[in-house]
Amino acid sequence: MSGKKVLVVDDEIHIIHVVAIKLRNNGYEVITADNGAEAFEVALKEKPDIVVTDFQMPVMTGLELIEKLRQSEQTKDIPVIMLTARSFAISKEQQESLQIAGCLSKPFSPKELLENIEDVLYQRELTVDN
Amino acid sequence: MKFGRNLYLVVTGIVMFSLFIGGLAQWQNSGTGEGWRFAGYIQRWGPCVLMCYVVAAVGVILLGWYWFSLAGKITSIAYCIKQNKLNCIKPSANAAINALNEVIKERFDQHITHIDELKGQVKDLQIQIQLSQRREKNTEAIIYSIRDAVIVIDEFDKLLMANEAAGTLFGFDFRTSRHKLISELIDADRHKFVELLSHSRQTGGRATRQEIEFFQEGKPKTFDCIISRVYDQAERICGVVAAMHDITREKEISQMKNDFVSHVSHELKTPLASIMAYSEMLSDGEANDEQTKKEFYSVIQNQAKRLNRLIEDILNVSRIESGLIKVNKQPVSLTILVEEQLQMIKSYAEEKNIEIISPKPIVFDQVCADKDMISQVIVNLLSNAVKYTRPGGSVKIKTEVDEIAGLAKVTITDTGVGIPENELPHLFEKFYRVEANKNVAKGTGLGLNLVKQIIEKVHNGHVFVESKVGVGSTFGFELPLAAREVVEVT
Repeated sequence: MSGKKVLVVDDEIHIIHVVAIKLRNNGYEVITADNGAEAFEVALKEKPDIVVTDFQMPVMTGLELIEKLRQSEQTKDIPVIMLTARSFAISKEQQESLQIAGCLSKPFSPKELLENIEDVLYQRELTVDN
Repeated sequence: MKFGRNLYLVVTGIVMFSLFIGGLAQWQNSGTGEGWRFAGYIQRWGPCVLMCYVVAAVGVILLGWYWFSLAGKITSIAYCIKQNKLNCIKPSANAAINALNEVIKERFDQHITHIDELKGQVKDLQIQIQLSQRREKNTEAIIYSIRDAVIVIDEFDKLLMANEAAGTLFGFDFRTSRHKLISELIDADRHKFVELLSHSRQTGGRATRQEIEFFQEGKPKTFDCIISRVYDQAERICGVVAAMHDITREKEISQMKNDFVSHVSHELKTPLASIMAYSEMLSDGEANDEQTKKEFYSVIQNQAKRLNRLIEDILNVSRIESGLIKVNKQPVSLTILVEEQLQMIKSYAEEKNIEIISPKPIVFDQVCADKDMISQVIVNLLSNAVKYTRPGGSVKIKTEVDEIAGLAKVTITDTGVGIPENELPHLFEKFYRVEANKNVAKGTGLGLNLVKQIIEKVHNGHVFVESKVGVGSTFGFELPLAAREVVEVT
């Protein structure tokens, strides 16, 4: 899955930093944003292959970002993985309705995040091929 | 009676005498002339007839006397019964009268016994009525003294009893509304309660419990409603008792606790996420060079310190709130404390190119306070001021004494980003962070809450804030001067 573009969104600069290093070390192109509003603008412009976003952020939360992505023609099909420090923050129904591809609890393992990203992109490729 | 008897005797006597004289006259005149054959008989049988006549007369008189005597005795007995003086009924030579006396006395005794029994029953009933009334009064007193709203209705939905709380909640006068239909007493916007009462009467069992919401004085209120059915001896529902406990505050507290736990969990996990992620990267060899490794170690260290500060803040706030913290109050100079903390913050301020303007020493500004706690307050306020002030700005600290009010005051004014007016009331709440300023600087959201707890709860002081967006903020606190307080150690 090298060469794919990942948009990483989190208000914690250290989280962005560590995820970016992990993904870049594995051949991904990484773009970042530190809140949901900025992330949406970046997504419209850069058209990432996948978005990794925190749940709780200032200005616009992760959920609000996903809702906005799903409302836009240009971004509605971008898969999203959510990172959250709050247990039970998102219900199964919400995940399905917003087409959230995956949910990881903080503290998370960068390795596990990478595996999740690769799974989602692989599944997406299979779907596109079919 | 006596008059009747006497009259009878007189009349009978006169009649008898008249008949006797008449007969005697006839007898004297008989046997002398024609046609008086009867007279001959009279002459012959005259003495005999006369004798019979006399006996008959005496017999009639005696019979009359006897009848009158009997009547007199019966009348006397009746009189005694009427006067309820059975002891004045005297025994008589007459067996019939005695028999009558006996029967009357016997019946009387039976009636008296029966009356006594009835009197006893009446007394018992009166006692039961009194007990019942007293029980009702006790029940009323109990219901009136309960702070929760209590309503009692009968099987026809009519109000039997209610207390003041119920009257206030539903808007009726609980004293004058007895026996009125409950649906007429309760406003339309609270009719779901009436429906609940009706429904509960139809379902089985002894009691049901349900939460119900109303608006009271424009604010939503939640009540824990317990409805108990009252059964009569035939196990039919004869009434319903509803008790409503206001759980609005409990729910708010529960929600605040949940929010607090949620916040704490989130705040603790955030630095922990960095620590774990960077540790994993180091152990997986993802730090390609020494510089990157150093950077990773530094992040881990800083985040660990951040975690530690957060835990300390949470513990301090909890200890202060629960009153468990050890307080060591003694006379301290606020100016000196401010000077000490300024030295700690100076280097941070210099890094950000922020000017610190500090006060000249005030001699008589001693307050009775825990030195460490007040130092914590000053550090929190100073570091916030520096954090939220852009490079090139300034932070001014002032210490004042109001002798008349007996207060010492510290104010810290910055030329920072300012705080929107609508957020000022929430600043001192746990985990509250001004939305617009979250990107300006990091924080746990507990610093100001800790300041408030220390100044107000522990030291009976007062915190205040003024701010204007784009201009800056002034935070401060007041404490009573030491002369007005006694040194205490708790």
